[in-house]
Order: sequence, then structure tokens, then C-alpha cells
Amino acid sequence: MLARAHTFTIEGLHTRHVTVEVDVRPGLPAFTIVGLADAAVREARERVRTAILNSGFEFPGRRITANLAPGDVPKAGPGLDLALGCALLAASGQLPSERLDTHALFGELALSGELRACDGTLAVAQAARERGLTALVVAPARAREARLVEGLEVPVAERLSSAVRVLSGGSADRLREPVSRPLLAAGRQAPPPDLADVRGQHHAVRALVIAAAGGHNSLLSGPPGTGKTMLAQRLPSILPLLSDEEAIEVTRIRSILGSAPLELVRRRPFRAPHHSITTAGLIGGGQRRSVGEVVLAHNGVLFLDELSEFARSTLDALRQPLEEGRVAIARARHAAVYPARFMLVAATNPCPCGHAGQGDRCGCTETELARHRRRLSGPLVDRIDLLPPLVREAPDTLGETPLTCSRGALERVIEARERQAARLGVEGIALNAHMDASVLRRHIRLDARCDSMMASAREQGLLSVRGQHRVLRVARTIADLNGSDRVRSQDLGGALALRPEATLGGRRAA
Amino acid sequence: MSRRADDPEPACEDCLRRSWLLARLSVGLDYRCIDVTRLMELLVLDDERLMHALAGRRRATLRSDYLRFDSAEIPRGDGVGTVCRHDAGYPSALRSCGAPPMLYVLGGPGRLGELLRRPAVAVVGSHKASDYGAEMARSLGRGLSASGVTIVSGLSDGIAVAAQSGALEAGGAGLALAGGGLDVGPPARRRSLVERLTRSGCVASELPCGCEGRRWSSAAAERIVAHLAKVTVVVEASDSAPDLASAAIARSLGRTVAAVPGRVTSRSSRGTNALLMDGARLVRGAQDVLELLHIDSPAVSVGEAVARARLEPRLVEVLEQVGEGRDTADKLIDRTGDVGEVLLALSELELLGLLTRGEGGRYVPRP
Repeated sequence: MLARAHTFTIEGLHTRHVTVEVDVRPGLPAFTIVGLADAAVREARERVRTAILNSGFEFPGRRITANLAPGDVPKAGPGLDLALGCALLAASGQLPSERLDTHALFGELALSGELRACDGTLAVAQAARERGLTALVVAPARAREARLVEGLEVPVAERLSSAVRVLSGGSADRLREPVSRPLLAAGRQAPPPDLADVRGQHHAVRALVIAAAGGHNSLLSGPPGTGKTMLAQRLPSILPLLSDEEAIEVTRIRSILGSAPLELVRRRPFRAPHHSITTAGLIGGGQRRSVGEVVLAHNGVLFLDELSEFARSTLDALRQPLEEGRVAIARARHAAVYPARFMLVAATNPCPCGHAGQGDRCGCTETELARHRRRLSGPLVDRIDLLPPLVREAPDTLGETPLTCSRGALERVIEARERQAARLGVEGIALNAHMDASVLRRHIRLDARCDSMMASAREQGLLSVRGQHRVLRVARTIADLNGSDRVRSQDLGGALALRPEATLGGRRAA
Repeated sequence: MSRRADDPEPACEDCLRRSWLLARLSVGLDYRCIDVTRLMELLVLDDERLMHALAGRRRATLRSDYLRFDSAEIPRGDGVGTVCRHDAGYPSALRSCGAPPMLYVLGGPGRLGELLRRPAVAVVGSHKASDYGAEMARSLGRGLSASGVTIVSGLSDGIAVAAQSGALEAGGAGLALAGGGLDVGPPARRRSLVERLTRSGCVASELPCGCEGRRWSSAAAERIVAHLAKVTVVVEASDSAPDLASAAIARSLGRTVAAVPGRVTSRSSRGTNALLMDGARLVRGAQDVLELLHIDSPAVSVGEAVARARLEPRLVEVLEQVGEGRDTADKLIDRTGDVGEVLLALSELELLGLLTRGEGGRYVPRP
């Protein structure tokens, strides 16, 4: 007798629908699984057999053939266990098969017959709804995740026997409140560090607010101990929460990569990989986990501390995600495109010893400075719009009042973002940082004095063409923060003062 | 003995042999040159005595090579010309004792003579200049060059390079003395400067092509600079010996030594301030140097000076504050209040060429 069940397998960040077909007929007792199964799936035979027996069902002593269709898609992970077990029970007449056509099944079986949750439950729930299935049977641990998807029933099954009850038309298990773990809960809810902790460095704080408002990539440059890392860590606190659509994207990525979120992730991700990271770690690829930090930073912030210490090739690989907001990975055995639209914040010392600009303290030779500049130049820095130089503050600034708190800054950022969205909506983008040359021309609205300033910047050779676009984008954001419809000369002046060339430029190289 | 056919007036065999000998003794000279005076004493010796003093156990081999010398052995660099003291066009300033008998020249011996017919001023100083020093050197280069003075300097980082690029900015051209063979490529960061100098000015060296620069040879280049210039201006120098070498040589040759004052608290200005204390002439800008040269015409004002004359009062105020040491946006905003206005003023001053950015993005006034 033949039975069929629906389940899904995960490839990178994508889900693939899998039909599990099980056939049971007389012959020598055997249990064969075909259909490009990986080791975890082949081992399912033992788990499924024992779980069926321990749940009080009968394991047919006949010839059992299971096929995982489509036959050309490699299937990975233990999430197929439940579908395999239920299809087998249906094929041996222990379970009516009607509901197997409308219910997707996803979960790993324990030997005791208990159902275990698997990574990627949210993604599977989305795929099940898209496929037109009405319900997804999952283990309780990840059921909340699956219930984020609207229009899909999510019956909970603690054991194989409960799943059988659901599929026979019975009631699902009750979903218990998650066990409260006070320490963890507190960590989740603790607000991110606040801008009010930053004393002095007003110029850099203002630049950070501009970066947050327009989504601009920025580079913080300054001697050690001036607060570069401190500032970067406070960037998430002045970014608006994720929209519904973005939140689902982020939660889905988290779900697949194994950090089970209990609810929709609303706060923007902040990823700060160490500078020893490899290209595969940053972008993706590699053997097992083929998703990199740029994908984890999707819709959030990627912070690269000590930028000049990163391998050159690793930084060059950031070009595509920075430009296109996605990353395409092609390896010998798989190829995939992942979303990776993030804001880049980098930090660097102004010179190898870190003390440049402090009179006699810097002991670097011209050769060392030239090498440092060379490491920072190149395609990555070309995509950085803002560079606020940080300087060592006098010790008495510690007693000063901070420039702003995160809440106040966040309000201005949200207001500026609304202005941008209203203006740029027709172009299909939301932030000034994403304006390309033609969009920029249509929306920049310079006043007369700005034109002459830009002209003289060109004459002086202060800005390349790309540099002019960067300055104009930032000027547009400053105008949005100031609530101004046109870009005034003050806005442009501010953008010029923050242009990266000013600090990185090789003036001394003559 | 073969002469080089394609050189219009090539240096004579004896002078070429002298440069060949210096290149051969380069390592020995480097070993002895810890003291500049000792180096000067060695460089006035004739070939025979120089070999005796430096060749050591390899003296016999060296002497036989010396006797069999053929100028064809000296590698030829692209576009490198030669001129020696047996030639009428040789700079008269180099005919004194201790000056090299010949020079290898990039940019043509003819142009070398042309440059040195004008008054020459040496702009020298530390290899690691502060933003202030570099801007002063650049401004002296610009101002003097615009008034028809030839800037002579070494070709090392810091003051020398800043002065030469200042001269080129004003459309003039200078003479730079390299510390090694002219075909030994300059570091990448200096390549464009050397190219521009070759196009409109000159780069010269007393060492043959293929000879790498060493410590002694950059000090020896400084000696040629001092010989060539009527006035030597030390823009910024710490109290270390290499920074002050040019001033010491110029003084021993009886040339006028002048210095640009710096902050008393800054180590990188200790040497210049000490020179002023010892009686060097004080230089605040190109005009002061022109007076030392007894050139009456006022310094030709370059674009920036014209702009400075018509500056709005709000820009003047910001410019003055930057000059007083409030060189970051934060320091200026604390003082004046309005963020937008201050940043606008700073950017406008930068666009006018009156401010530039130094290390760590600090604002530096351009004198």
C-alpha cells in the first residue's frame, strides 16, 4: 500500500518542498530510503523504527520503500523524520491518509517517540502557506515561531502519537507558556546602550545621527580610546525598529541559523565580526553553514572594528553586498543568493601607531603612513559616505552634558526617514544612501549658493565624481534632518566637512 | 677610451671615474658618515687619498679596477644627462672645494644651467614634518617660485617634498638633489613628483645610475643643496643631527642660514628655534626670504592671497580661530555655537584654499 506526506528541507536560506512516498508490500523485511538523502536522513530509519515501536504502533515486518521526491534535490537534516514516520503508518493502515494531503509535517523523532523541533521552522511555515497547505504540525518548542505566519494552522504535537491524533482529526496538544528564564529574558529586553553615555565628540555623534537617518555607510577614525567602538555600539539605539516585512526576514534568518527566537525580532541586528574573519565567514560559502555575517546583518548594522587589519580580499568581497544589497554565492556544490542589505560602520586608527594628529606623539614614518592609507583605500572606502574624525578630548569633557540621548536622536531619525520615504517612494527606495546618480539628480534640490560651492569644489580638485555624489547624498540627509525641503549651503557645508577624502586624502604624499 | 656619442656635451672621463669611485666606496662611506663633518672631510679628498682612506684590504683590486676604468661600464638611465666641471655650463657655485665635480641630471643639463641663473634658495628640514611645517614649506615654495626664485632641496619626505610641490603648484620649477642613482626608482608616493620635476624642473645626483641611496649619500646631497643656494631656509627641524645637517654645512660654507620659528613646546621645532637663538635670520614667509636675497619686488601674490584680501568677516573670524589652535569642528562649535554656520565656514575656507586638512582630519591654515 502507498502513502504520501508533505514536508520541507532547507538549503542555505531557502526551503524546498519534499513529498515523502512510502510503499509497504510483502517481501523480505527491509527499510530502504531513496532520493538523495544525506547522512542525517538515512539515519532516520533507525529513529523512525524505534519511535514507532515506542509509541505503541506496529512496525510492519515487510518490504518498505521510502522515496523522497523530487529525486534531484539533496535533502538534509532530521526534519523529515515526522513525515517519514506518518507516511509509513498511513501506508501500513494505522493512520487515515486524507489529512496527509493538507498538513505539512516537520520535526525530528526521538527514540522515545517524542517530537523534537528543528531549525528553520519559520521558513518552513512560510513555504507551507505558499504551497497552499492548511496546517503545519510542529513540536512545541518552535511552534510560536511558526504561528507568526498568518493563514496557517499550527497544531502542536509533543509526540508521534499526538501527531497521529491530529492527523486522524483529533485535538492538538496545548502549547504551554515558555519556561521563564529570568536571566535570558532580561538580556533580551535590556535596552541597547544609549548615546547619552557619550561625553564630548559632538561632531562624531552628529555624524552618527546623519548616518542613521540616511542609511549611510561610515568610517570612524581616531586615536585609540576616543570612543570609536563605543559610538558604533550605540548606532542600533538610534535606528527605527524593523518594519513587519523586515522583521519577518530577520526572524526567518535567525530561525534557520539556529538561534530560536520566541517572537518576532524587532530590533535591528548588530554584527561585529573580529578582524581575523575569513571571506567565507563574512560572505558565506564554506562546508556546512553557508551563510555569512553579511546575511546575519541584513536590515541591520555590520560593524568592522580595526578596518585596516581585515584581509584585503575579505574586504573586497563586501563590494557586491554593499552595492546590490544581496550576496550571490556560487560554489562547486551549491549556488544561492541571499539578502544582505546592511549599514556598514567601520572604525580605524588614523595611522599604524594610532597617534597621528597629536603633535609629536605619532612616531610613524612616511612609508608606514603610506602603507596604512593604501590598506584603507580601494573599493570598500569608495562606498563610504561619511568619515567623522574623532580626536582625543580634554579630560574635563567627562563632566560635560552629553549632546543628545538616543530617544531624542531616534525621533529626529524617524522624522528624517519619513521625509525620505515620502520623496523617494516613487523611485522604489527608502533611504538617501541608496540614491544612484540619476535619482540623485532628480531629488537633490540644491539652492543657488550650493551650486557655486560644488563648482568650486570641482575646480579645486577636492572631489572626484563619485565623491561629489557622496557629498550630495549626505547633504540631502542633513537637509532632511533639519526639516528643510531644499539643500541649503549649511547642509552642504556639513557634508563637505565630513567627506572621507578630507581625512584619508594623501595630502602628505604630495 | 670611448666617449658617449649621443650626449651633447658629456662629462669627461675623470669626472665620471670619480662618481664611479664614490659608488664603489658607498658602503665604506656609509660606515664612516655618522658624523657630517667627518663625511665632508672625506669628500674633499682626491681619488687616490679617498681609496687609501676607505678601501682597506681591497685597495689593490680597487686600484687596478680604477686604472682600467671605462665609462661605458656605467649604466645609462633613461633621459639622464651628465655635466662636469670641465664644461663651461657647470654651475659656478659647484666649482668650490668640496663640491662634486659632476652631476647626473634628469631634465637636461641645459635646464639646470637655466634654473641656476636665477637666485636659488634651499628649503630644507626634517624628513617627518608636522602639518604646520609641511604647509609652511609648501607656501615658501609657492611664494618664492612665483617670484622667480629657484627652489633647491633634497628629495626626501617631509619639508623637501612639500617645498618642491609648492613650487610646482605656483607653476614654477625647482631643482631636487637625489641621494642615489637617478634610475633607482623613487618610492611610489614620490613618483609623480619626480615626473613633474623632470618635465619642468630638474632632478640631479652626483652618483651614477644603479647606485642605491644610503645615509651618507642623502647627507652628501644636502651638501650640494647648501653649495647651490645663496640662502638656506630651515623650515622645521628637531634637534637631531640629520635634521640640522644642511644648516651646519651651509654655515660652514658661509652661506646665509634662515629659519622658520615654531612652537617652543614642540619637539619638531627645537632645531629651528635653536638656530634662531644662534643668530639665524628669522623667516615668516616668502617676503622675508626675498628681502634676504635683496630682491625688492613684493612677493607675487598667488590666488589664495587675493581671496584672503576679500574675505567676509565671519570667515576671517573662523580662520583666525583655527590659526590659534582650535583646529577641530568641536572646538570651534563650542566657541561659536551654530553648528551649520561653523561647518559651512570651514568648508568654504577649504574651498577657497585657505584651510586644508592635516593628520586625523584636523584643519590646518595655509599660510
